[in-house]
Amino acid sequence: MQRLLRHAALILVTVLLGGLLGATLVRFSPAFGVDEAELDPRRSSASIESIRRAKGEERNIPAFYLHYLGRMAKGNLGTSRTLNRPVLELVVTRLPETVKSVILGLLVGWGAGLLLAIPIAMFRSWALDIAASTLAAILLCVPTAVFALLFVVLRTPGRLVIALIVFPKVFRYARNLLVKSALLPHVLTARAKGLGNLRVFARHILPNVAPQLSSLAGVSVSLAFTAAIPVEVLCDLPGIGQLAWKAALGRDLYLLVNLTMIITLITLMANCAADLARPQGARA
Amino acid sequence: MRRVLFTVLSLWLAFGSARAQSATQLRFCLRSEPKTFNPLLVEEDSSDTVRYLTGGVLVRLNRKTQKLEPGLATDWKVSRDGRTIAFTLRPGLKFSDGTSFSAADVAYTVQQMMEPSLHSPIGDTFRSGEGATESKILAADKVAISFPAPVAGLDRLFDQVAIMSASSAKKEMAVLGPYYVSENHAGSYLMLERNPNYWRQDAAGRPLPYIDSIRLDIQQNRDLELLRLERGEIDLVNSIDPEYYEKLVKEKPALAHDAGPSLDSEHMWFNQVPTAAISDYKKAWFQSANFRRAVSEAINRQDLARIAFRGHARPAVGIVSPANQFWFNDKLRPHPFDQKSALQRLQKDGFRLHDGVLRDVNGHVVEFSIITNAGNRYRERMATMIQQDLAGVGMKVNVVTLDFPSLIERITRTFTYEACLLGLVNTDLDPASVMNVWLSSAENHQWSPGEKKPATAWEAEIDRLMRAQASTLDDHRRKQYFDRVQEIAWEQEPFIYLVTKNALSAISTSLSNAQPVVLRPQVFWNVDELKLAPEVAATR
Repeated sequence: MQRLLRHAALILVTVLLGGLLGATLVRFSPAFGVDEAELDPRRSSASIESIRRAKGEERNIPAFYLHYLGRMAKGNLGTSRTLNRPVLELVVTRLPETVKSVILGLLVGWGAGLLLAIPIAMFRSWALDIAASTLAAILLCVPTAVFALLFVVLRTPGRLVIALIVFPKVFRYARNLLVKSALLPHVLTARAKGLGNLRVFARHILPNVAPQLSSLAGVSVSLAFTAAIPVEVLCDLPGIGQLAWKAALGRDLYLLVNLTMIITLITLMANCAADLARPQGARA
Repeated sequence: MRRVLFTVLSLWLAFGSARAQSATQLRFCLRSEPKTFNPLLVEEDSSDTVRYLTGGVLVRLNRKTQKLEPGLATDWKVSRDGRTIAFTLRPGLKFSDGTSFSAADVAYTVQQMMEPSLHSPIGDTFRSGEGATESKILAADKVAISFPAPVAGLDRLFDQVAIMSASSAKKEMAVLGPYYVSENHAGSYLMLERNPNYWRQDAAGRPLPYIDSIRLDIQQNRDLELLRLERGEIDLVNSIDPEYYEKLVKEKPALAHDAGPSLDSEHMWFNQVPTAAISDYKKAWFQSANFRRAVSEAINRQDLARIAFRGHARPAVGIVSPANQFWFNDKLRPHPFDQKSALQRLQKDGFRLHDGVLRDVNGHVVEFSIITNAGNRYRERMATMIQQDLAGVGMKVNVVTLDFPSLIERITRTFTYEACLLGLVNTDLDPASVMNVWLSSAENHQWSPGEKKPATAWEAEIDRLMRAQASTLDDHRRKQYFDRVQEIAWEQEPFIYLVTKNALSAISTSLSNAQPVVLRPQVFWNVDELKLAPEVAATR
């Protein structure tokens, strides 16, 4: 319980600091407070002045952030300037799309990674090892945007690109861990004594690598969310990745601060869950 | 029992196929999510598209003939002083939700539009003087609207004003146009259904529009949009780039349409802001008409049109595109490409070309940078070609690409730039729509925004002429004034107009009655008359 509370407090502080840092970065980004509408030739000087004044209110970051936190406590996350909608509404409608993409990407990426790493470690299949390692190396070299465009042309669901990003990392890490564990003296002894592959894996290898794999699980969640941004932009998937891109282009302070906090929260929670899942001894 | 089952099955199949044949759905893409459904707050393309498809207007500008036609109003009259317009409304009309339409709705819309705190961009086009706007309901079908000062092109401006209901609980979602918004899947797509209360009928008395629904997919990726058109997943692309157009001509020529020069132009200008943080000697170059004319003559516009735009653009003449049939000054011609003449002009100001390097009267090497927005490949190409052309008269040009907000910041706030290459998107034909560009005190007077008093005699003359045309009701006298403005702008070249882009679009062969034009919205301006082939309808 104490561990849980400590983690929760740490997450809260980090999320709040992440939000403040995000707001500061946006505030000091070039062209903050500039609106394309100012170039509209129909606009009168008074209208242009009003647009500038409205943006000027966000220039004082401490005042903005305190005001923002006060409103957030009442459930109001502010209004997006680029999309002219309440941020809460945007997040609620867009988050499920990204979560769907991330879950699918993680399941397929992890599934493929483990499905290839386990036989390599257990059966010492060098041909499979070379083929899978080469594939993982190629996938690591190709930028996410290239995969996304390729999937668009091939009419393949863009969400699967996330799996291609997660797979090589999971595969390489899991393969190295499993191969190393498979060569440990107690595993070799168990094999020599005639224990079956399944038993060796379940009783002697898996418990050994589980703490490290759970850490990788936490990291892969943030990896998947990061990959979701270019994927959603290029494949036109209406998730929070696409929203984050638009918000960054429009220097949309409210939207960016909220998205920074949400992504930070999800990443920290995933890492925290991985941390809590590990036995105490393994952490030490 | 078997017979009953057979009859039921036959009826079901017949009903199903009849439904499939009658339910037609037009599909095309929006490049971004609409920012608003309030027609008075529309400022970007996507919201404008929704407004055009759903909004009912008192008078409609026919995009093909460029003449006004009756809309919700059967008749209208502008008073002699140009301050008042009286409309006679079409009787018995209803909004999409069944609420009755009357003069009270027109009065309500105008009152909302002119509300100062709303900062409606459309409202701004009606603001010609200090004071309140008054709407007088003369009868259920008659309304008169009075403005504090004469408004130039008053009747034409109402083409942009979609009438809202004063009493509907659905507020701006109750509409009088051919379609209404039935579903909004944020970030994904919008569904518009045919308005059952739409007033227009075809010559045979059949109710319009012909197409039952429109699906607007949010698709910001242009490559994907074209790919979807080629696959038959969408029916039109309202505006396409020359490169896509050429690709389409090669692969599916029947889909590609070039309606000729549009209202949109590409231009560059030099920073003439007195307080700008640039050297005084450079300010002196930029403020010289000889220098600007020389730069203009040293640029090969034909090549810009031919290479950068693959031949789908024309050398620009000036403020007004030749596509604007009434207001274009046809005495003017594009500045010719003549580097000898350019050098002669420069010599008048004391510039000297030596060893391929141009120097001013004080020996400063003529070098400046042009900023433009990153990611716009046509502007990037044009900037590079201008760089090469100007090297021919010894000028060294550096091209700097910036993301759009940074560029806007430089040209509107910090003025830390020397020259800028940008485009002007014209949505209105009337010169009143560019008052905020040509008046020296205006914020969009981009070469020197918000001048306290006109910096030069010719700017003072433009101010006078623009005000004169805005306060005159006789269109022919207005044209005389505006022709002179065009001539001054052509002589002084505060904006160096480069090319006028063609209106390019792509239309599926299954869509009939489409007549692409140069005015926005180029393809679906007659949306209520568009028809889809039955075989397409059956597949959706």
